[in-house]
Amino acid sequence: MANKLDIQIRAERQYAVLETAGYLNDALGEKLSKKALELIEKGYTQLVINLDKTALINSIGISILIEIIEALEEREGTLNFCGLSATQERTFRMMAIAKYAGIFPDEKTAIANF
Amino acid sequence: MRVSSAEETIQRLIFSLSELEQLGQTLISGHSNFNVSSKTYLRITLGTLQASGGAIYCFHPSDNHLTLAASTPESEMSPIEIEQTEVETLLECSLIALDTPPESLQQFIDRNAELMDGNVKHRLWVPLKIHDEFLGILSLSGLFGRAKFEEWEQELLNILAHQISIAIAYSRIVEGIQSEKFRLFMLAESAPQICQLLQPEDAAEQVVHQAVALLDANVGGLMLIQQAQQKLELRYIFPPTLLISEEAGEDDKETLSISLDSDESETSESDVKTSLDMLAGVVKEGKTNRCFTKADNLFGGRNLMAGPIQGRDGDILGVLVVGDKEERGGRTAEFTDEDEVLIDSFAKQAGVAIENAHLHQEALEARQLQTEMEEARKIQENLIPDTLPDIPGYEVAGHYEPRGPVGGDYFDCIELVAGGWGLAIADVSGKGMQAALLMATLRAGLLSELSSARGRESDESVDMKNELIDMAMTLNSLLYVSGTEEKYATFFYSHLNPDTDILTTLNGGHNPPIIVKNGGSIVWLGEDVGGLPLGMFPNDMVPLIAKYEAEQTKLESGDLVIFYTDGVTETVNIDDEFYDEERLEQIAKKSHGGDAPSICNLIYESVMDFQGDADQFDDLTLLVLRKK
Repeated sequence: MANKLDIQIRAERQYAVLETAGYLNDALGEKLSKKALELIEKGYTQLVINLDKTALINSIGISILIEIIEALEEREGTLNFCGLSATQERTFRMMAIAKYAGIFPDEKTAIANF
Repeated sequence: MRVSSAEETIQRLIFSLSELEQLGQTLISGHSNFNVSSKTYLRITLGTLQASGGAIYCFHPSDNHLTLAASTPESEMSPIEIEQTEVETLLECSLIALDTPPESLQQFIDRNAELMDGNVKHRLWVPLKIHDEFLGILSLSGLFGRAKFEEWEQELLNILAHQISIAIAYSRIVEGIQSEKFRLFMLAESAPQICQLLQPEDAAEQVVHQAVALLDANVGGLMLIQQAQQKLELRYIFPPTLLISEEAGEDDKETLSISLDSDESETSESDVKTSLDMLAGVVKEGKTNRCFTKADNLFGGRNLMAGPIQGRDGDILGVLVVGDKEERGGRTAEFTDEDEVLIDSFAKQAGVAIENAHLHQEALEARQLQTEMEEARKIQENLIPDTLPDIPGYEVAGHYEPRGPVGGDYFDCIELVAGGWGLAIADVSGKGMQAALLMATLRAGLLSELSSARGRESDESVDMKNELIDMAMTLNSLLYVSGTEEKYATFFYSHLNPDTDILTTLNGGHNPPIIVKNGGSIVWLGEDVGGLPLGMFPNDMVPLIAKYEAEQTKLESGDLVIFYTDGVTETVNIDDEFYDEERLEQIAKKSHGGDAPSICNLIYESVMDFQGDADQFDDLTLLVLRKK
């Protein structure tokens, strides 16, 4: 797994998708957080984070995801995740992230469930 | 005026109480992350105290830095360094007027005034702390229409600062709990996950990935011990781009190996200067170690920690390495004692996973080998004749017994189109499918040769000896191009003319057959005219080493010829003695007088009696020809 850090953003009228690629550590997490907060500032309250190309997440990556959830909650927004591996999904449930954000198999389903 | 001032104070106090309640609610609302809630805390504080601007700075004790959490108006600031003595001064103060700061802080303020000011004109600092733990600074700028805080406002400021301190501490505790929860879950989750991986390469990759994530590292690697060369060999590195930066290039395995030679790996704690020293030390001492090194030729100059990978029986299989531990904000952190415990625990699980994967791989290879052996055995058995032909004036009998892994014995008795009979016996080197295929090649080549020109005795111009030599050269060339240097066949071929009773023989490195003459005397065939095994050398080298030669013998009534493979003479008994040629000669003499099948059986029984319970690993083949 190459650790090429990247974030792709697909912003539509009602929602925006942030797709990460690489190890979700502090470096990628901060980039993700910055992009997500910018979208929230612009008024987006429905975000999808697609982790399909992120096989590895550390505890800092998790704390940044929680931070994004909290920032969205302040605006009464919703965050849906998709593209999670089975382990990531179990981790998200164990870390209670799944209580505050949706988990869906793919981007299409995640968008359809706002 | 006094009444209106009192009313204003009461109104502000009521507002303050309401805002304090909001602060409390923010704290318990589940918005534990101070990065998110810091703006709310600052807004409430500024509103309560009617300050025009301010900022909250968070202190990071791991590297003594302050970072900006929130500011009004908004601004940005790079992390700034703060000395421990300055932290101690801040811990002693409750309010600091920046125009008259304590002397020990003056330098810090001067040093960072420009950085910290941004869009905020700071006038007053309130150190954020809980007991002796410094957490940050609440900084305020101008007050609306007032020159300074009233006493009750200062008390209110202290209460608000304390609330913010609690929020920072709470946020860190929650972050710490989340981090530990994550690590424990990862530790519990990773074991079954990596143990399910059956390919050693997959297991190595997953072990490194899990370790990197588990320890908030940014690099990692797995090195396993190459027992034969006493080296640690890199099996996986993360990120893989690290290899590309190696000066020697990614294909140079030497740069990815560490010698475990005792002289080179003699290390003590004070000797650990490079990661190579550390890794060799981890293997030698079998315990986790850490180092920070600039001189390194594998992972670069990095903060590294390595734990021993142990197998079930406690043997050290290799080393798991992680490096560049990070903290929030991109800061590099040192690995802690707790991290050592964690990598130690994870490395134990990793050892089981890696051992499992290697055992699985070995089992697969063994199964594949067994399947190949069975296939090879089938091929070989199909090449051995079920029955032997009747040769006028002669008796012929054979016995083939597979023993152990597929070897490559072969014998045949072929009626030649041009007249006469060909008797062949061979032993192909090696075992398994390659040996079986080589034997099939030999047989096909032999049949092809015999079906073409060989054996045309009716043509008086044909010299049978030369015919056999030519045939041997053809077969030698065929086997040489079909196999490798280690693949060859010993071969003994006899051409029998039953009309003249002339037996023309050629030996290609095979055990010399025995002729027991009617009178009981013994002749060893091909002993003095032996050529090289087939396929060992190219044709142009054969004459230089030992050219093929043929000889002729006239058989008389009662003469017995015994062809055999080394499975007969090299059969061992429980005392590790060989059956050898002497015993074969004795039994051959003893058997003289019987018919070919009974002689063949007698020799076989003799070998079996000698063998007893000793294990045998080579096939046994006998071919007996008797002139009636």
